[in-house]
This record gives sequence, C-alpha cells and structure tokens, in this order.
Amino acid sequence: MTDRVLEVNDLCKSFGGVQAIRDLSFGVAPGEVMGLIGPNGSGKSTTVNALAGVFPATSGQIMLGGAPVQDMSEHARVAMGLARTFQTASNFAEFTVREQVMLGGAVTLKAHPLASVFGLGHHAREEDALRARVQDILDLTGLAPVAEQTVGTISSAQQRFLMIATALAAAPKILLLDEPAAGLVSHERKMLADTIKAIRDLGTAVLVIEHHMALIMEVCDRIVVLNFGSKIAEGTPSEIRNDRAVIDAYLGEAV
Amino acid sequence: MKLRATHVLYAAALLGFVLLPQLITVKYYLHLSVLALVWVIAAQGQNLIQGYTGYVSIVQAGFMGIGAYSTTLMGIHFALPVWLTILLAPCVTALFALAAGYPSLRVKGHYFAIVTLAFNLVIFIVLMHATDLTQGEAGISGIPKPGREDGWFDFANRQVYYYFVLVIAVIMTGLAALIVRSRIGQTLIAIRQNETLVGAIGIAAWKYKLFAFVAAAMYAGLAGALYAHYQSFINPEIFGLAQSLDAILAVIIGGSGTILGPVIGAFVVVFLPEYLRFADSFRLILYGLLLVLATIFMPRGIVGVVGQLWARITGKAAS
Repeated sequence: MTDRVLEVNDLCKSFGGVQAIRDLSFGVAPGEVMGLIGPNGSGKSTTVNALAGVFPATSGQIMLGGAPVQDMSEHARVAMGLARTFQTASNFAEFTVREQVMLGGAVTLKAHPLASVFGLGHHAREEDALRARVQDILDLTGLAPVAEQTVGTISSAQQRFLMIATALAAAPKILLLDEPAAGLVSHERKMLADTIKAIRDLGTAVLVIEHHMALIMEVCDRIVVLNFGSKIAEGTPSEIRNDRAVIDAYLGEAV
Repeated sequence: MKLRATHVLYAAALLGFVLLPQLITVKYYLHLSVLALVWVIAAQGQNLIQGYTGYVSIVQAGFMGIGAYSTTLMGIHFALPVWLTILLAPCVTALFALAAGYPSLRVKGHYFAIVTLAFNLVIFIVLMHATDLTQGEAGISGIPKPGREDGWFDFANRQVYYYFVLVIAVIMTGLAALIVRSRIGQTLIAIRQNETLVGAIGIAAWKYKLFAFVAAAMYAGLAGALYAHYQSFINPEIFGLAQSLDAILAVIIGGSGTILGPVIGAFVVVFLPEYLRFADSFRLILYGLLLVLATIFMPRGIVGVVGQLWARITGKAAS
C-alpha cells in the first residue's frame, strides 16, 4: 500500500451539523488517473479542498508518498508533492503566462529566496533549470505560443490550461484537477484529455473531479463515486458504468 | 529600445539630482530637497508593502520615529558613534516591525490598514508620554551630525548632507529595484494579484508579507535616523498619522508599484505644500483637494501618466 502516492483513510469533514464527507478511503498509484465523480453536493469539492489543505479534515488520515499530511498547511502540502487547480479560473492576471508558470515552480527551488535578490550563482543555475522545465510544460499544455502574453489577455480555455501548467511546475507527485473541463468546448476537451494522458505518461498521478462523463471514461484508470459524502463505488470505467448503485444515484439508465 | 530609454531616464534623473544643489539659489529649497530625499527612502519602503504587496500600511512615519529616536537615544546613552547608530536604527525598527507585523498580517485589506494605523497611534503616544526617555512633546535637541565638523565631511553643511542622503537614497532605490526583480519581488506582486493562489502553489505568503513589512519598516527606520541627524531636533509631532498618510500619498501620486514613483512622489509631498503657501490658511484644504483629484485622475500616478504619454509619442513616431 505504501507505493501509493496518495492514500486517504477514513476521511471525514463536517461543517457544523452537516457531514460533507464520511469515512472516505481510497488510494492513487503513481502514473494512475483516478476519477472522482458524483452528483452535485456529493462532497467532491470538499474532498479536493480537504486533500489540498484549504481547510482541515475533521478526522481521518491523508498520506502523501507515505507521509501523513493532514495536519500540514496548504502550502506545505505542495512541497510534499500535491498540486491542484481550481473549479473557476484562478490566475495572476498581470503576469505573463511564462512568469506565472515560473512562480508555480518556485516551490521546487532550494536556494534561499534572498539569493535571488543578489543573483547569486547557485540560485541562477537552479533558475535556469526551472526555465527549461517551464518551457517543456508550456509545450505540453499548448501555451507556448502565448507564453509572453499577459495572463489577463489569453482566452478562458487557455486560462484553464494555465492553471494546469502552473500546478505542474511544482513537480507534483499527484495533480488534483477540479472540474478541468468546465467551460471547454469539444476540441478543447480533446486537448485536455490528451494533456492529462501526457501528464500520466510522465509518471505523475492525477485525481480528476469532473461532471463530463465522456472525458472521465476516456482518461481514468479507476473511478471513485461519491454520493451524500460517502463512497458508493470504486472500479474501472467499465465496472462503474455497469454498477447498479452508480446508475441509480448518478449516471441514469441511458449511459 | 525600450530598455535603453529607461536607462537614459535613470541616468538623467541621477545627473539632475547630482547637479541640483548647484542649480538651487534659494537655501530653503536645498533644505526641502534634503527632506525630500529622506522621504524618498521612506516612500521606497512604503512602496514595497503598499505598491508591490498590495497591503496599505499606515505606520511608516511611526517607524521613522522609532528609527529617529533609536539612533538619538543610542547616541546619548551608549555614546555610540553616529554612523553606527544610523546603521543600527533600521535594525531596531525591524524588531518592532517583526513584533507588530506577525499578528497584524493575519488580517487583510482594510483591517490590516486599521491595525497598522493603531500601531502608529501607539508609537506616537509612547513617544509623547515616555518623557523620561523621549522628553515627550518638548523633544530632543542637539542631536549630533555624523562625520567631523572640520574639513571635507562637514555634515553641518547642508550641501554635504544633501549628497550624503542622496548616496543612501540611490543605494536604497537600487536595493528596492533588486528586490522587486527577484523571486521575492515576483512573489510580492503575486500576493497583490491573488493571495489565495500564492498559497495554492506552495508559497507561504505570510513569510513574504512579513518580509515586505519589515523591509518597509527598515527603510523607514533609516529615513528617520537620517532625518534626526539632519534636523538635530526631533519630537513626536513629526512621526504622527499625518506623516504616514504622506508616505502613502507619495507612493500613490508618484506611481504605486513602480521604482521611480516613490522618488517623484516624495518630492511632490515635500514641495507641494510649500508652493501652496500663497493660499495662506486655505493651503491644507487646497493640498487635500489636489491630492484627491490626483488619486481620481491619475490612478497609476505620475509615472503612469508619463508612461502613457511616452507610449503615445513613440507610437505616433512609429506610425
């Protein structure tokens, strides 16, 4: 079990009297794409935010690469290898695309930030390496043509890919994508699917929260289904598609 | 092309400052220029926290007061040389800023502004009432000048002090430029734009905010120390809220989040009230009105307006 990049054990989250997640357990292996689906209000976003550390879980354990992180702050979890995107585009509007992705990679730099003020050698070499890696990420996410444009001027679809690029720059072990297809049209969704597969092929695990079933069924190796904060099913896309409980709660008969 | 234009601009500005004492015929204006240079340093600090990080702090003059009193008191009580107490003053100020910044940076926006405003009030009240130490409202006079009173470095000479403060202002402006261009500066600008995202990409935003706040305070502490040894007299009056607002206005009027903005803004806030003397008792009202109008019609300050004009001129030249 320890070979899993993300391991969630008996995770619970309550808001006042409302139990948003109850006893949720699942794991994600390196290079695996895991889907997290369920009807509105089933606890998907709460799960993402609890994993990312936006708020603390009420109880339960979150392991990243074998280390418990449930008590760590949001930013410390990024250093532990968990990066995320947001449901609605959240970027640095005044930066260029490249500047934002570079800052996304700042967490991977070991030199003290003060070294960058005086351009000390060690820091400069590290930053050069990051610059090369950022170029690869821009190519991978299709943002290279707009790399020098101000974030506020690129399209909303590009803004969504920019969130992925920024998260990737942190060199995560696992990438949390919170509804990455929201607002994308069909050819952009195709690009998104290809990007997710390319990320997987680089060995990074991905956890995708998504309503778009065709995308989920295409890219996921396994899927966890939530309903009313509890896991009602887990399995491969074909298993999930034929699961009675999932059909009743979420998919409906026609799928 | 664009890079060369700004380099020429910096060089021209520097040359202007070097020549300024030779061009000024009225002694009083040289005095104001020294004060303005002191304010350049304070405003550069204010710009780090307000302009780049997006946190409006209302305690810059209070921190100047801490710098001014600590250099003075260390000189009096420990008989330390002036150049040393000037260097120590920003460090003392930094300690106060660390203690003040750690709790106050937990709140955002207007709340942060109000907390820092309260700090300025506390500093002011302590300076007023700790009379054993500060001599209260009467203030401390006879603060010594750095250097020797004979020969080359006679700092009692206004012109010498002008160049002394100019060198320090240039160094501190250069340091601010280095900070802003570094990864730290990028992070500060990122906090201004989207603090939530800064946390989500793995950066502990509070460390950077605290850095900006403490750095701003150190700039203020240094400016306050230079002020004390220039005027040879300090009292709490000059480190009150009104002066903190001047620091904020210097940043806004000059150009928030730009390197030249605080330089221009500092000269405006020092010289403008003097040029409004003709209005007599309506002077302060007129001053206030001008500032309000400037904030409304020049949201990006003088640097922003000049930048736009420059773009228009070069744009026309190109087409």
